[in-house]
Amino acid sequence: MFAYIVRKLLSTIPTLLGVALIVFALFNLVGGDPTYQMLGRHANAQQIEEVRHEYGFDQSRPVQFLNYLKQIVTFDYGRSYSTRQSISQMIGDGIVPSLSLMIPAFLLTTLLSIAIGLGAAYFRGKAIDRVTVILCIFGMSLPMLGYILFGQYFFAFKLGWFPISGYETAWPDRVQYIIMPMVIFVLVSLGYDVRFYRTAILEETSQDYVRTARAKGLSEPVIFFRHVLKNSMVPILTNIVIEIPLLILGAFLLESFFGIPGLGSITIDAVNNSDFPVIKAMTTLVAFLYILGNLATDVLYTLVDPRVRLK
Amino acid sequence: MKLSPGAFQFNNSWNSFFWNFFIFGCFTLALAACSRNQSKEPANTLHLVVEAKLKGLDPILAEDRYSGTQSAQAYETLLQFHYLKRPYVVSPLLVEKLPDVSADGKVYTFTLKKGVLFQDDPCFKSTGGKGRELVAEDVVYSWKRLADPKLTSSGWWILDGRVVGLNAWRDRASKNGEKHYTEEVDGLRALDRYTLQVKLTQRSAQFLYLITMPFAAVVPHEAVDFYGKEFLNHAVGTGPFRLAEYHPTSKVVWVKNPTFRKEVYPEEGAPGDHEAGLLADAGRTIPFADQVDVQVFVEQQPMWLSFLAGQLDISGIPKDNFSSSIGPGQELAPDLLAKGIRLIKQPVADVTHLSFNLEDPLLGKNKLLRQAMSLAFDQNTFNEIFYNGRAMAAQGPIPPGTDGYDVNFKNPYRQFNINKARELLAKAGYPGGKGLPPLEYATLAGSSGRQQSEFTTKMFAAIGVKLNTNTYSWPQFLETIKNKKAQIWEFAWGGDYPDGENFLQLFYSKNASPGQNDSNYRNPEFDRLYELALTLPEGKQRTETYQKMVRILVEDCPWIFGSHRLSYILAQKWLKNYKPNDFSHSNYKYYRVDPRLKK
Repeated sequence: MFAYIVRKLLSTIPTLLGVALIVFALFNLVGGDPTYQMLGRHANAQQIEEVRHEYGFDQSRPVQFLNYLKQIVTFDYGRSYSTRQSISQMIGDGIVPSLSLMIPAFLLTTLLSIAIGLGAAYFRGKAIDRVTVILCIFGMSLPMLGYILFGQYFFAFKLGWFPISGYETAWPDRVQYIIMPMVIFVLVSLGYDVRFYRTAILEETSQDYVRTARAKGLSEPVIFFRHVLKNSMVPILTNIVIEIPLLILGAFLLESFFGIPGLGSITIDAVNNSDFPVIKAMTTLVAFLYILGNLATDVLYTLVDPRVRLK
Repeated sequence: MKLSPGAFQFNNSWNSFFWNFFIFGCFTLALAACSRNQSKEPANTLHLVVEAKLKGLDPILAEDRYSGTQSAQAYETLLQFHYLKRPYVVSPLLVEKLPDVSADGKVYTFTLKKGVLFQDDPCFKSTGGKGRELVAEDVVYSWKRLADPKLTSSGWWILDGRVVGLNAWRDRASKNGEKHYTEEVDGLRALDRYTLQVKLTQRSAQFLYLITMPFAAVVPHEAVDFYGKEFLNHAVGTGPFRLAEYHPTSKVVWVKNPTFRKEVYPEEGAPGDHEAGLLADAGRTIPFADQVDVQVFVEQQPMWLSFLAGQLDISGIPKDNFSSSIGPGQELAPDLLAKGIRLIKQPVADVTHLSFNLEDPLLGKNKLLRQAMSLAFDQNTFNEIFYNGRAMAAQGPIPPGTDGYDVNFKNPYRQFNINKARELLAKAGYPGGKGLPPLEYATLAGSSGRQQSEFTTKMFAAIGVKLNTNTYSWPQFLETIKNKKAQIWEFAWGGDYPDGENFLQLFYSKNASPGQNDSNYRNPEFDRLYELALTLPEGKQRTETYQKMVRILVEDCPWIFGSHRLSYILAQKWLKNYKPNDFSHSNYKYYRVDPRLKK
């Protein structure tokens, strides 16, 4: 397994190189020159030249790309063009609020959706299953913005159960600001996840070993909890682990409306402002985490399914 | 216990899971409720809002109004615009009085107030963190920072070409770096501890206005050296508030600066201020608030709900909530009035416009075509749709309340008239638009840009002029315009100071792209008048010169003049002394919360 992990980690190098090349090409083709935005409408030609020189925009494209590669290796992306903040500081400041929201939201979504998916599969074809599927489709159809606007107006403004917006760095003050966006995330995500897990579990229930277990007289709960759930873990794990790297990006809409200073809005702002250093840092970070997530999935497969061997 | 699919019951482990989950949920909610009830702030805390994420507190980087306003709570300038008086007048802030000016109008001598202290901060190592006194050398240092090309300040324009020797210093600074700060600038000298002399390259009536901007605020070199590149996240000024918390994307908390000098609330104001209660605190020591909580709202719904819930002291009115808040007679809705909320209306010193690129071979050479398009654009309908009527049609570039604005002037090419527009289009050589290729129209990506471009396209289609709309991100949009690649685009200009020159500079030929004259307008007579106006003191001759320039512009039609917007601001009943001021940045010190009215 160790050799496999090392090999996998080495394979991140060409992947990251490819990501870097695509990001660099895209930014230079469609990103727009950030100089004018940095200087505003009063800028003159001399100032524009000075800024272009100061930030290295006047260097050749290959030199700029090599500098980018150096930044990937050192993970020192310098400062944002738009906010002039240190990018490592921005990521450091943003990752805690993002994860404060996303980790409990993700855990809750995962637990609930597996439980509901299992229940729906258990009652396949019955009223409870049909109602669950309808609710899932309904939940998936409503945009997140709808949940946010309703939640802020009704639960925060009218009932006063939660703050309308805001964020505190200190615990436990932070909790009150996280609950409503967390619940909204769970509601929005449940639809998709329940349907996915229900399907994965149902596929497993049609396997031969389930029929054998029933023939042997095992009770349905035992079949479901001890056998079906365990064997459904491969697709479930795949879905879960793939989502984990994206957690650090937070949920842009939730962060914007609830005033949570997370990484989602940092990334969107960077794209809107052609803030290339931030885009580079975030893209590389997510790509790297994604690769690590895939590696973790492979390793976890061996734990949940003894038939899987890493070579 | 046997379970069947038809009669599923929770077993013990399910029960236990749900009970645990339920208890955890209750605990979390209780925790949240408890923490919400713990109010740690003083009763007279101000709760204010900024509608964009902040870009730092370093004054030379305070390029947007939001960052400038926050920076100005800690860093002060030599002069400020009087908080209450209208028309706007400049008044002393860090200086004893307005500067003495030489007979030729080129040498300004400022006398600093004595005993003004920088806030206590660890950067003052020699005094064990005690803030030292502000001296004239600090102003010299701060303005050199503004000129330093390595710091790439977007505010350099306020001193560019104006101070003797400063441009030469800037040119040398890019080679010598930090060491260069010890080199003297002939036009910027500390004559003694409290006297600053500034020599201008030519007489400038705008100089005093320019140095009220946050870019010209005074910073201590110790803080810049101590915090290095992180200086933008600290605030060590002489101002009324000191920074307690700074989260540029979510929240800023200011607390009263205990070492702030004795300053008092203005004793004079504009007509009507007394009746409005704005002089009730005249002569009282400022700042009134012990703490200011500033929350960043990038979305309007949570800001609006927070205001309605009494969690914010001031708010604008989001477009979607306008009809429920303002009646047909532009009066406040009864439910808001009943809460004691006040509606404050004020013209904003700005102008929106559609620009023509006059270096474009088609548009640049055909004044009649531009005039025809100007006549075809129904500004009043546009204002109703996009601003809920909160705007007045502009007749020229200079907004009301600004020197050069002529209330009686009607722009003949801005009186919506389709027939006359068609007539002019025919004279331009394109009857009914025949033979005229589609014009390339640049706008910003997003729903607002799309909706406005659809409206504009419809307006021009009525006379046979077709538009091809190209949408861009903000950096792409600026790049397109500055590189003269667009034909027509929408834009706006917010005044930096209340003088017509600030708007007329947008047409001066030496400011052509990539400068602020992005229409690339060139007219020798306009340039001559502009250069003359720069040297004229405030008065009748200067006002008439501005008005002559506006008439030249109106005839040449480099822009379709759009609107001057009106701000509709709501203030809670407990907020006292609030008066909008477009040009004064450190107003928090005047605001007062009456905690009795808040209960």
